[in-house]
Amino acid sequence: MKISRNWLQDYVDLTGLSDEEISAAITFLGFEVEGIESTGAPPLDKVVVGEVLSRAPHPNADRLSICDVAVGEASGGTKRIVCGAQNYQVGDRVPVALVGAVLSGDFTIKPSKIRGEASEGMMCSGKELQIGEDHSGLLILTARPEIGTPINDALPAGDVVFDIEITPNRPDCQSHLGVARELAAWFRRELTYPAMEVPAPAAPRPDLLKGLQVAHSEDCPLYTASVIAGVKVGPSPEWMQQRLAAVGVRPINNLVDIGNYVMLEYGQPMHAFDARKLAGPEIIVRRATAGETLVTLDEKTRTLTGEMLVIADAEKAVVVAGIMGGENSGVDESTVNLVLEVAVFQRFSVRATSRALGLSSDSSYRFERGIDAHALAEATHRAIGLILKYAGGTWCGPTLRVGSEEPWQREVTVNPAWVRARLGFEVTDEEQRSALEALDLLIVRENEIDEGIEWTVRIPSWRSDLDRPIDLVEEILRVHGTAKIPATTVTAPGLLADDDPVAQYNRNVAGYLVGQNFQECVTYTLRSRPEIEAWAGAEAAGPLSLENPFLEDQSHLRSSLVGGLLDALKLNQTRGNPVTRLFETGRVFIPQKEGVVECAAVGFVIAEAGMVTWKSRELADFYTTKRLIEVMADRAGVDLSRQPHLEDGGQAAAGWQAGQHTLQGDMRYGWSARYGMLDLAVLKSRDITGKVLAGVFAILPERLNAGGKRKRFQPFSLQPAALRDVALVVDEATAAGEVTKQVTKLARAAAKGFELESVDLFDVYRGKGLADGQKSLAYSLSFRAPDRTLNDKEVNEAFSILLEQIATKTDFEVRS
Amino acid sequence: MQDQLSALVERAAAEIPHICSRPEFEAAKAGFVGPKGELTGLMKQMGHVPKEEKPAVGKLINETKQQLLKILEAGLARIEAAELAAALGPAIDPTLPSPDPLPGARHPLTQVREELNAILRKVGFTVVEGPEVETEYYCFDALNTPPTHPARDPQDTFYFPADAKFSNVARKVAGEKYLLRTHTSSVQIRTMLKGEPPIRIVSPGRVYRRDTVDATHSANFHQLEGLYVDKNVTVKDLKALLDYVLKSLLGSDTQVRFRPHYFGYTEPSFEVDLSAKHLPKVNQEWVEIMGCGMVDPAVFEDVGYDASVWTGYAFGMGIERIAMMIYGIDDIRYFYQNDLRFLRQFA
Repeated sequence: MKISRNWLQDYVDLTGLSDEEISAAITFLGFEVEGIESTGAPPLDKVVVGEVLSRAPHPNADRLSICDVAVGEASGGTKRIVCGAQNYQVGDRVPVALVGAVLSGDFTIKPSKIRGEASEGMMCSGKELQIGEDHSGLLILTARPEIGTPINDALPAGDVVFDIEITPNRPDCQSHLGVARELAAWFRRELTYPAMEVPAPAAPRPDLLKGLQVAHSEDCPLYTASVIAGVKVGPSPEWMQQRLAAVGVRPINNLVDIGNYVMLEYGQPMHAFDARKLAGPEIIVRRATAGETLVTLDEKTRTLTGEMLVIADAEKAVVVAGIMGGENSGVDESTVNLVLEVAVFQRFSVRATSRALGLSSDSSYRFERGIDAHALAEATHRAIGLILKYAGGTWCGPTLRVGSEEPWQREVTVNPAWVRARLGFEVTDEEQRSALEALDLLIVRENEIDEGIEWTVRIPSWRSDLDRPIDLVEEILRVHGTAKIPATTVTAPGLLADDDPVAQYNRNVAGYLVGQNFQECVTYTLRSRPEIEAWAGAEAAGPLSLENPFLEDQSHLRSSLVGGLLDALKLNQTRGNPVTRLFETGRVFIPQKEGVVECAAVGFVIAEAGMVTWKSRELADFYTTKRLIEVMADRAGVDLSRQPHLEDGGQAAAGWQAGQHTLQGDMRYGWSARYGMLDLAVLKSRDITGKVLAGVFAILPERLNAGGKRKRFQPFSLQPAALRDVALVVDEATAAGEVTKQVTKLARAAAKGFELESVDLFDVYRGKGLADGQKSLAYSLSFRAPDRTLNDKEVNEAFSILLEQIATKTDFEVRS
Repeated sequence: MQDQLSALVERAAAEIPHICSRPEFEAAKAGFVGPKGELTGLMKQMGHVPKEEKPAVGKLINETKQQLLKILEAGLARIEAAELAAALGPAIDPTLPSPDPLPGARHPLTQVREELNAILRKVGFTVVEGPEVETEYYCFDALNTPPTHPARDPQDTFYFPADAKFSNVARKVAGEKYLLRTHTSSVQIRTMLKGEPPIRIVSPGRVYRRDTVDATHSANFHQLEGLYVDKNVTVKDLKALLDYVLKSLLGSDTQVRFRPHYFGYTEPSFEVDLSAKHLPKVNQEWVEIMGCGMVDPAVFEDVGYDASVWTGYAFGMGIERIAMMIYGIDDIRYFYQNDLRFLRQFA
């Protein structure tokens, strides 16, 4: 909101305070100053009032004249000045910039020769003095100030406008009086209210207005209308126009301007009707009929709904209540009789209508935030007084009124010792009292209690935000000054808590992946529908959809981190950045039968195609992703080696390459891991070059359990191991894991009196020596006893039992 | 005999230096000194040597053997040296770049978040997490934000359709909707509902506003909020904590000031401005950095704490905003584009 310093000066004497001091005061009272703008002439040295004594044509230029200008004895009497303007006559008084004056910040006036004629100064336009845009001619000083007067003394004083942000809890400060009240408290100066000059009303004019009907008092608790007959529409006084213009309100005519002026003064919106345009002498506050239209003052046709409140006459709606008047009823140049509406509309009703229509105004803004109904009568009188003074006419009959303001009486009890305890530093009783009273928060009673004294504070009607003792702590601190909060050290007794398991997990896996040369990314959670369908299937899009997306391509929750990582991959590829390994940790959302589950997740991509180095390295493949995912699962307490692979090579999930990826786990059990190669066709459709490997591990946050069980030491044998190798020929379709499982089982059974320690798959062979559709898996078996060195005989015995068992109990063929 | 022996030594001296591989060497060695070698053959002829010559011939054979072994030893050493040289490969050029991938790094937003977490951990704050999808209760109602408050308007907050189901978030009541949290204060409410004071937590996390994306606005961004609940917590304590946090983060020349402000869930409330001589943009004027205040008694009542016993403070800041300030980044979108030329600057 824009606040004019000149205007404030009417209510609080700010003499002797710099603009910076006032700005700082507003800031520390709790209102952010978003801008300070100065109007009027800047300080101008060596620019004085001069009078044109003579004007002669320039011998060498048609459009120039040579003038003798009186500038006063102190400035050297008379100056000869060459001038190009045409709008002045001999005898006019004009601003004269003397030699040495500096205009527009950097233009210094010097003695000069213009087309051969000497000139000792410059006569100025308004623009040259930075007091307006007019550059069409000299600024003629019609008030004829004394010759030689410094120009700043002769021009109207400038103004300073503070653009301040009013927090929503302070509707009382949406007015100059409200802000003045705050400044009066800060500087401990007197607040002066506007003087009222209202005569007693003349006889009523029922022909103009005889009644009010309010059909919906819940949305319009108080409605008043005053009749002023015989006004004369014209421009409002110069000072009022200047003030309105200073705060960004365009002056229109005296009636409209006064309405705006009083709104900006008291915060109470008002609206003026031309009585002649009302059908019948009655005003009705009702809901619009669905589909009813009204052309508002901004010349737009508004179609209303049955919830919206309007002001109407017998035939038609004339105002969207509290928001904007209609073109059909406002005052204009020919208005003679006027009906002035001053009312209170319910905040939420105004806000709903304003939002629905996409229409807001200074009036709706104030109603939405709430206005002080108790100041309505005073604001009405102020407006009537100004209208009678500046537009003439007669106030006819008492103001008609339907409804009432809620009776206001509020007191809050507060104990100054308690206030100090909340603040944590010394603010004396006297300082507290002074702060409260500066804000018109008067202490009406003081009681002795056990803990000292207790004050009963009366809350004025405009401070409906103050309700509890804690609210007064803020008021005291505000006016006392937040700058006075003393500096001190932190005291922090330990609380012996741990970080959340999700935070610990993310930190842990991020550390691991960074160590594996992955670069962390941060991508958007909201994704497009096509992306969700591509990665999670068409049926997933519904449950993940927002009701009110802002952008079409950010309409759904992500179900995987891969989409965002591919965006990052593509951006880097496009920009020619060598990019290989990216990861992200964050929340993903996975649709399940009972509803969507929100999971903690970590995902990565590896893209090595096109990477050129002077020395080649082995490329990552599926088994690289497997190790990464194993570690990520392990850190979440999940042992992947015991988990079945739920999708075989032939069945591809959306977005993943058939036969080149796998899935373990299921969100039904709290976690899932999917990893392998991404679908080449999908990558191509996203313009991503080459193969991309990826993995995502997702887990319900509630399943993560930081710390886990303490590990126990397991004793191990210090005896040497006995090793035996065996190669088995199996069908290509047989999974290695199955073979390993069987071999392990049989070898364990075969080792009698000692232990099978490990079964390691060390070779997978296809080709020469094997039939098509077969592969050979070679294992190294390690046997060991806890207490002795094994001898060859017992190991050979066990090994031949194993070979025999494999031959009889499995389909595997021992390769010799 | 003598001639044969000297011829053998000569031949060995001529052939062995030309042998380059171990198998050839082993074959040659066997040919000279092996059990079936020539020297052994000559030694077997000792039987035919007259008795009186035996000592001299024996000595000669021994000398010959020593000579042969010496030649063979030298030959083996040469081959071993060659093998070693072959195993080592060409000499390195220490100025060639490593072909291995560049190291990974954490995202600057993670780095700033973790730095703040660490600063706060020193004074007893631990990290809590909560869901990004929330009910209206946790995001607004419990934070003293009435149903009519503009922040709840669908123009500013992302909602899910009335029939949306989230099974591990929170049960919603009739008429309530799921939404994307607009702040991480919802996590503070969850923490207070779950436990008893004293509480000292920090809740960093992703939040959402329905906003036009530009240099300073993003559809999702990250906040870090703190909450402290205990007996006799004061405004002075709050100021002391934020002085400590911001000086730790930005350096001891950092100045911090409180301006009164308004938030629904704190009373009194403040905006915090800072200035720090060494930071660009912040060295000339005060820059708003975060909001804070004393927890409003209404919030305590709402979570079932006795407001006449418990007091507390809360604060919240945007992680992007802090990161932009300390690194001098002028556009929030850099954080989400993940251009490696950007990310690697903070490695």
